[in-house]
Amino acid sequence: MVNPVLLIVIPLGLAFAIPLFALFWKGAAKYTPPVALGFNLVVSLLLLPKALENPVVVSIGGWQPPFAINLVAGPVGVLFSVIIALVGFLVSIYALDYIKEVATEKYHMLYLLLLTGATGVVLTGDIFNLFVFFEILCISSYALVAYLRDKAGIESAVKYLIQGAVGSSLLLIGIGLLYGQFGTLNMADIAEKIASASPISLFVPMVLIITGLGVEAAIFPLNAWLPDAHSSAPSSISAILSGIAIEVGLYAVARVIFTIFGASGILPFLALLGILTLLVGEMCAFSQNNIKRMLAYSSIGQIGLILFALAIATSYGVTGGLFQLISHTLGKALLFLAAGYMIYQTGSMEISALEGMDKKMPLTCLAFTIGVFSLVGLPPFIGFPSKFLIVRAALATKETIFIVLIGLALLGTVIEGAYFFRVVQVLYFKGEKPNPGRKEAPIIALVPMLILTTLIIVIGIYPRLITGVLNSAASELLNRVEYIRSVLG
Amino acid sequence: MSFLNSYIYYIGAFGLILIGLYIILVKHNLIKVIIGLGILDTGVNLFLISVGYITKGTAPIFSRPGIDYENMVDPVPQALVLTAIVIGVAVLALALSLAIRLYQHYGTLNLRKTREQKW
Repeated sequence: MVNPVLLIVIPLGLAFAIPLFALFWKGAAKYTPPVALGFNLVVSLLLLPKALENPVVVSIGGWQPPFAINLVAGPVGVLFSVIIALVGFLVSIYALDYIKEVATEKYHMLYLLLLTGATGVVLTGDIFNLFVFFEILCISSYALVAYLRDKAGIESAVKYLIQGAVGSSLLLIGIGLLYGQFGTLNMADIAEKIASASPISLFVPMVLIITGLGVEAAIFPLNAWLPDAHSSAPSSISAILSGIAIEVGLYAVARVIFTIFGASGILPFLALLGILTLLVGEMCAFSQNNIKRMLAYSSIGQIGLILFALAIATSYGVTGGLFQLISHTLGKALLFLAAGYMIYQTGSMEISALEGMDKKMPLTCLAFTIGVFSLVGLPPFIGFPSKFLIVRAALATKETIFIVLIGLALLGTVIEGAYFFRVVQVLYFKGEKPNPGRKEAPIIALVPMLILTTLIIVIGIYPRLITGVLNSAASELLNRVEYIRSVLG
Repeated sequence: MSFLNSYIYYIGAFGLILIGLYIILVKHNLIKVIIGLGILDTGVNLFLISVGYITKGTAPIFSRPGIDYENMVDPVPQALVLTAIVIGVAVLALALSLAIRLYQHYGTLNLRKTREQKW
């Protein structure tokens, strides 16, 4: 029997053991995260078939669900933990060579803590526990943004910390209000009792919780920290922040709205916010000259699209949203990893400095280009089926608001194409410099990029590989009665 | 007065929360902003405690015979606050260490003057 508790306990224990290992052997620090995350990947994959049949509910301490803190490894939770472990594993391999400066043990320890926090958020069934894991994620990401200790990193970390701390305080007030009304912290138990409460008394906690989580999920008016933090962190951390941290925030928003509150009235508003986020992100990305800032703004845009798709709240819509989420995770992680070594080689983050890189680093450039094509949504890459599903879901609702909004979303995609193709043009067709000789990224960094590229192409060609899992995940999110029944029995 | 008596903790808690938010939004000095975060945290913790508080309640331990569980305060919010305090300490410690670094780089703690990153 594979126990979901292992997914949290093993990385957490190893994270705190890293300084001890490093006492005996310096190199141990950097090999611990791949081991822990590889273990997580295997366990999550073993858990997946079981979770698809029936959510695995683990109560801690032998108490029964409304009283115990419990983990709910349903299709959504295990799907997310697979993604977190997979991307975390690949990025930790990349970091073996990439992270050389400053205190590397601290980097690896915080990195593992960040991913433990993310795994905890997606697996927990207790709302206060969700807050605690969220804080683990946030605090380690504040520290990692400042990891290089340069001017930009410190400044962005300060901004990120202040906004994140206010956000989590609001989240905690919301949780307190819910506890005051229902006397329970179990998400399923709250969801069951919420029908008897008056809508007015639910409105304030809902707004507080969504605002608090929205800071981490980078929903439009709350995302001022994101471009700074994502562009000044080391590239491997940018990949994790863009690929995992904000997605986990979105998961929490979706879980709160769909499962706990079952609030369908707020969905058109969220769809609108999603499209606003998308347009703001894409337009800001268009005017950037710094490659990492451009990728960061593009993440804001993608988050907006995912939020919009989730807010459609039909089976197709949520499936499309989760599909887009996976496609963004794989694509953006690939782009940041590839950009990391390009920046390392040129020593500059300016897009114009990347001229003629195709001669110097052909494989990295190819990976970057595939990531770009996938994010824009060209076939046969993973971005195409995901965007296609979202458009189909929006049209199938036959509601004017969603059809108008998806039109705007497609406009955003056009802008996205414009700025991304500009980078590809700079990489391949600009600059008539003499051939500077090949200086490819080291092989240990190329392997994760290659695996991500393969996944992007394979899933793009056979979307059916994952649509089954996505469908059951979508139905878990949409069917709250089933969720309550499976947790409380 | 009965209104004040029964809601005084909530009024105090939300007062602290609003004072904290005000400081964070208005002040330019990073140390003051961090103090604001501390006050905000304290307000949230006080609020959580008052959710489970009963006037003249006892600790939720059956320490001697004859204790009625009706008069016990709710232990769950206290456990939550204990966790929240620890998290708050971690955030404040990190914020202060970042403040030291920020001062080393810029020579000032004024947040108006440390704005190189722009949209």
